[in-house]
Amino acid sequence: MDIRAHVSMVFHLDKCIGCHTCSIACKNIWTDRKGTEYMWWNNVETKPGTGYPTQWEDQEKYKGGWQRDENGKIHLRLHNRAGGLTNIFYNPALPTMDDYYEPWTYDYENLFNAPEGDDQPTARAVSMITGKPMDSIEAGPNWDDDLGGSPVYASNDVNLDKLTEEEREQLNEIERVVFFYLPRICNHCLNPGCVAACPAGAIYKRGEDGIVLLSQEKCRAWRMCISGCPYKKTYFNWASGKSEKCILCYPRLESGQPPACFHSCVGRIRYLGVLLYDADQIEKRASAPDHELVAAQRDMIMDPFDPAVIAAAKKNKISDAMIASAQNSPVYKFVKKWQIALPLHPDFRTLPMLYYVPPMLPVLAKTKDGNYDVDGLEKEGLPAMLSSLEKARMPIKYMASLFSAGNVPVVEEVYRKLIAVRIFKRAQKVKDYQQAEVDAALAQGKTNAEEVEAIFRLTSLPTYEERFVIPPLGREVAVEAWESPLDRKREAGFGVRNKIAKRKF
Amino acid sequence: MRSDSGKPSSIPIKIALALLQAMTLIFVITSVVFAVPPAQAPDGEALFTSKGCIACHTIGGGDLVGPDLSGVTKVRTEEWLTKWLTAPDQMLTSDPDAQALLAQYNNVPMPNLGLKPDEVAALIVYLGGGATTGNTAIGLAAGDATSGKAYFVGDERFENGGPHCISCHSVAGIGALGGGNLGPDLTTSGFVKSDAAFATFMGAPSTLTMGAIWKNTPLTAQEQADLYAFLSKATVTQREPSALLQIALLSVAGAAALIVLAQVYWGKRLRGVRKPMIERTLAAKK
Ligand code: SF4
Ligand code: SF4
Repeated sequence: MDIRAHVSMVFHLDKCIGCHTCSIACKNIWTDRKGTEYMWWNNVETKPGTGYPTQWEDQEKYKGGWQRDENGKIHLRLHNRAGGLTNIFYNPALPTMDDYYEPWTYDYENLFNAPEGDDQPTARAVSMITGKPMDSIEAGPNWDDDLGGSPVYASNDVNLDKLTEEEREQLNEIERVVFFYLPRICNHCLNPGCVAACPAGAIYKRGEDGIVLLSQEKCRAWRMCISGCPYKKTYFNWASGKSEKCILCYPRLESGQPPACFHSCVGRIRYLGVLLYDADQIEKRASAPDHELVAAQRDMIMDPFDPAVIAAAKKNKISDAMIASAQNSPVYKFVKKWQIALPLHPDFRTLPMLYYVPPMLPVLAKTKDGNYDVDGLEKEGLPAMLSSLEKARMPIKYMASLFSAGNVPVVEEVYRKLIAVRIFKRAQKVKDYQQAEVDAALAQGKTNAEEVEAIFRLTSLPTYEERFVIPPLGREVAVEAWESPLDRKREAGFGVRNKIAKRKF
Repeated sequence: MRSDSGKPSSIPIKIALALLQAMTLIFVITSVVFAVPPAQAPDGEALFTSKGCIACHTIGGGDLVGPDLSGVTKVRTEEWLTKWLTAPDQMLTSDPDAQALLAQYNNVPMPNLGLKPDEVAALIVYLGGGATTGNTAIGLAAGDATSGKAYFVGDERFENGGPHCISCHSVAGIGALGGGNLGPDLTTSGFVKSDAAFATFMGAPSTLTMGAIWKNTPLTAQEQADLYAFLSKATVTQREPSALLQIALLSVAGAAALIVLAQVYWGKRLRGVRKPMIERTLAAKK
């Protein structure tokens, strides 16, 4: 057992209101420099939709992540060693600028400086890359925002491929159109494709907290990470000639604050805490067959209360404070204890450490005489409206394609538990359910009153301290080797900061 | 962990001061111990040979690569000569007289020999003193142009192991691609104006690069003769147009071949996702 600590995340999709505050918080801090205009380390997608960059989930095109061969071994989908070498000066699997979008601003000055004329002056769109006016803007990072059922973008969502023609048709019917939001940041994976693809060894996973960072000194612009990451969460800065990615706001974490997107999240959907995992199992778990992937990933997350795990953690020099933080972690509860948070696209086999509680979706209904008629629900022996999984507008197969590599029962189990929470609380507050119905829901959700209450509390009423259990990252211990931590803290804050210069040849 | 002293930069400052003191001390000691004895005034006659003027010039012996220098102090002012000997490369960019000389002597520029002011002065004194060198030109036996070409392109080795001319020089008559670009193109060069000029220069080349290369691996008299025979034959005023065409065709064909190869090898590369997706979808809806 090789126990390590990982700062991990949960996004509760039921609470996301699609406000993009998270994206803006991130952009204002990290990507408002030249060359980074098009980067959204945090972006929020409308699903079904093609996301950003367009159809990033289609690895037939983008060649990201890992692939399992007949012998059960995993390989980078991008290339093997020989392929990597022959393509090193020309990576054939890069998204084009158009697949992200051409970033633009507006010529606001013209509103003030335009000479007097018969018409109102306008502020033309100006490309932030070429500086030239853009006549038509055709794409943006959230182009299909809020457009459920849009005929071009929504209908080209790769996850819809798993549905039958009939199911797809239904998604376009009025009264059945449905969408939800999917905020995405780098998953700080346990088996990151970006790290494996980088020929310069510039990307690394920090030992103490698992944050995946990209060294601005070592990066040589091969751009293999951009193809290697199946989530397309590394980006190439065309001005500095280096790739960049989400750093999980490590300077904020080191001073005890949650990352900016977490802190600013309006829906309070984001949770952060430590997971202890067994690093010996990474290869084995990442190579599991598709339908076992979610279970495999849960298996390698260790119980922070187990004395054997604690002993192994201490042997690996994980501090008592870190272990205590892991015991208190909201992420541990969602992912392992309650098992209602799932990794996004486990089929990419990078073992992402950001987990999602899938959103509750409205059920299918037709209007009859001006009223919703949720037909057929009673036949299933279930109360109407909130409870039927079978009648969910969004077919469960779609959710399984997103969150369980196509394994439908795994997602169903999560939903049954979430439905139990709803029915239980509704019976408590609105009192329109019979006790028998509540008991049936609890049984179906394989849960009990106590657990449901705990899930409810952490979902709906969590305090700041409950959402963000930030461990002491001990950066002062790490820098001790080369300078006085106290001098460092006073003069520059924690962290290693060097000037980034373009390499001179 | 180091204790917090309250004076964050005191230690670096101390180290810097100590270093400064040490350096001052070392400087003082070395300047005392190794103090240079007062230099003797340089001897112009010796310089004329040792600095390699003699490779291209005579005094009263006629023109070689460069002009005969007898009476030069009467034609040019001392000021002009001083400037010229100190930095001929600068003069060539600005001074019309210098430029006229360059044209007159087959565009072979006078190299900057890195002379110090006292050396320049000594040379001017020597040139104005009426001394002559006599005819220093070295004659050459008749050479064989075919083996001269073999030496030039590297088919035949030089006896003393010197590098082949083609590594740095180009000349007409050795194929379409010519030779190197580091040294001057010898097709129209003044170095091969006469066998005397060529042999005298090659006997002890005075320019920085040629001097360094040939000092320890001199050419034999026969090699010089053969090379001269080849170079003087190759001397035409222009490259043949057919050779230029050949280069152009070769480059175009090569580039085209590379492009085709790349298209085959990287044919399946990602050429954009969004635009094709939209076109496909719209076409299907029609
Ligand atoms: S999500 Fe992050 S850690 Fe995972 S492969 Fe992509 S860039 Fe790397
Ligand atoms: S800030 Fe929170 S609620 Fe708003 S879009 Fe981002 S994740 Fe969703």
